[in-house]
Amino acid sequence: MAVVRLDNIGKSYGAGAAVLHDVSLTLEPGDLCVVTGASGAGKTTLLNIITLAELPSVGRLTLFDTDALAAGRATRAALRRRIGMVFQDFRLLDHLSARDNIALPLRIVGVPESDIRDHIGELADWLAIGHRVEARPQALSISERQRVAIARAIVSRPDLLVADEPIAGVDGETALMLVRVFERLNSLGTTVLIATPDLALARQLGCRHLHLEEGELTSPDPGVTQ
Amino acid sequence: MSGQASGAARLALPFGGDPTRPFLFWVLALIGYLAAIGGLALVLISDDLREWNRSLGNSLTLQLPAESSAARLETVLALLRQTAGIGGVRLLEAAETARLLEPWLGPAAAMDTLPVPRLIDLQIDPETAIDFADLRQKLSSIMPGAQLDDHRQWLGDFRGAAIRLASLIAVGIAAIALLAVVSTVSLTRTGLALHAKTVELLHLIGAEDADVARLFQADTLRLGLLGGATGAAAAFITVIAVISAVPLHAMTGANGFADWRLWAVAIVAALATGLVAMAAARITALRRLSLMP
Repeated sequence: MAVVRLDNIGKSYGAGAAVLHDVSLTLEPGDLCVVTGASGAGKTTLLNIITLAELPSVGRLTLFDTDALAAGRATRAALRRRIGMVFQDFRLLDHLSARDNIALPLRIVGVPESDIRDHIGELADWLAIGHRVEARPQALSISERQRVAIARAIVSRPDLLVADEPIAGVDGETALMLVRVFERLNSLGTTVLIATPDLALARQLGCRHLHLEEGELTSPDPGVTQ
Repeated sequence: MSGQASGAARLALPFGGDPTRPFLFWVLALIGYLAAIGGLALVLISDDLREWNRSLGNSLTLQLPAESSAARLETVLALLRQTAGIGGVRLLEAAETARLLEPWLGPAAAMDTLPVPRLIDLQIDPETAIDFADLRQKLSSIMPGAQLDDHRQWLGDFRGAAIRLASLIAVGIAAIALLAVVSTVSLTRTGLALHAKTVELLHLIGAEDADVARLFQADTLRLGLLGGATGAAAAFITVIAVISAVPLHAMTGANGFADWRLWAVAIVAALATGLVAMAAARITALRRLSLMP
C-alpha cells in the first residue's frame, strides 16, 4: 500500500503559469523524505495538495490507496485525520491555550478528556514544552510555537506527517531536537515528508531527497527514485 | 487514534469576542418581538372572528312602534312565523324590554309612561336565506315604522376586515421569518469570515463539515432562543398592557396572564426564532465549508 501516490500532478491558479508541473511521487509506509527547493519553487503547494488543503488542476492523487479526488467529503475528512500537518505559519489558534491547540485533533475524533490530558502531558514533556502548555500562543516564543504546532500534528499518531519548513526560525539546539523527533516518529512507522529550503537538513537526515525547481520535481541524489 | 469516528463535541470557537454577536442578539430579539406580537394579534383576532361568527348565526331584532295594536302585532308574528329562514319568533315582554333599557334609562324610569317600542327576537336558520327586502316591505305594509335590525351586515363587514387584517398579520409573520433568515445568514457569514482561520484549521485537521457547522448552529440556537425569548417576553408584556388598558377581553375572551394561549404564542415565537436562526446558520456554514476542498 502506498501512503501517497501522485501521478502527473499539475497546479496552476487561473491563467497564470503552472506552480507544479507533471509531478509524480510515491511514498511508501515508513518512508522519510525531504523535499528541498527555493522559495516559490512550489513546495508548499505540493504539501497542500498532499494534505488535501488544495486540489490539483490535473493529475491523480491517491492517499492510503484511496482516490482522494474522487472521494466524497466525509472520506476526505477521514483521510485528513490520518495526516498530521505542520504548517509553515504554525496556524495556532490564539484564543486557545497551547494544550487546547494540541488537543484539537483528539477532540475532533472524540477522545476522552482524561486520555487527552495524559497523552498531551507526555508529548509536551517530550518536546520540552511541558511547562508552557497553559500559555496562549502569543505568549510563546517562535521555537515554542513551532513545537506546539508539531505536537498538534503528531498527537493523534498520524500515518503520514507532513511538515512545511519545520525548523525555520528555530535555534540550532531546537532544530536538532526536532530532527530527532521526526526520526523517532519515522522509526515508529510514521511516513514523514518534510519540505525545506535547507539542503543541510536533507543531508543531516540522510534520507530520500527530492528537489523542486520551478514546479518540477527532480532527484538530486544519483540513484534516488521518485 | 486516527481511525476514531468524528464528533467535535469539545471544540470551541471564540464567539465571546465576536462583535457581531450582540448585534445578532438584538436583531433576533426584535424578530422575536414582531413574531410574537403578530401571533398574539392573531389569537385576539381569531377570538373576535369566533364571536362575530357566533353573532352572525344568532338572531335579528324587530322593533315595532310603541303604539302597535295587538291585532297588528299578531299579524306581524304570523308573518314572521311563515317566513322562510326564521326559525323562532319571540315577542319580548314589557318587563324584559324594561330590563334591557335599564342601563340607559335607570331603574326608576316610569316605563309605562314612555313610548317604549315592542321588540321581537328572531332566531335565524343559517341554512336558509331570508329575502330581507321582501320581508321589510311586508312589515311596512302591516305596521309602518317597523325596523328590522340586521346587524349581520355590519358584523359581516367587520368580519371581512378582521379576516383581511389576520391575513396581513400572517403575511407579516412570514416576512419576519424571512427577515430572520436573511439577518442570520448575513451575520453568520460575517462570523464565518471572522473565524475563517479556525474553520479552515478544523477542516484541514479532519473535522467533518457537519461538526464545524454544528459549532455555529449551536451557538446561533442559543443566541436565537435568548433573543427570541427576550423579544417574545417584551411582546407579551405589550399585549397584556394593551389588554389591561383596553377591555378587549370583554369581547375576545383573552384573560391576560391567565390565558394559556398567549403564553403558548410567546413560547412558540421564541422557539421559532431560535430554530429559524439555527437552520440559517447551519445552511450558511455548510455552504461556506463546501467551497473548501
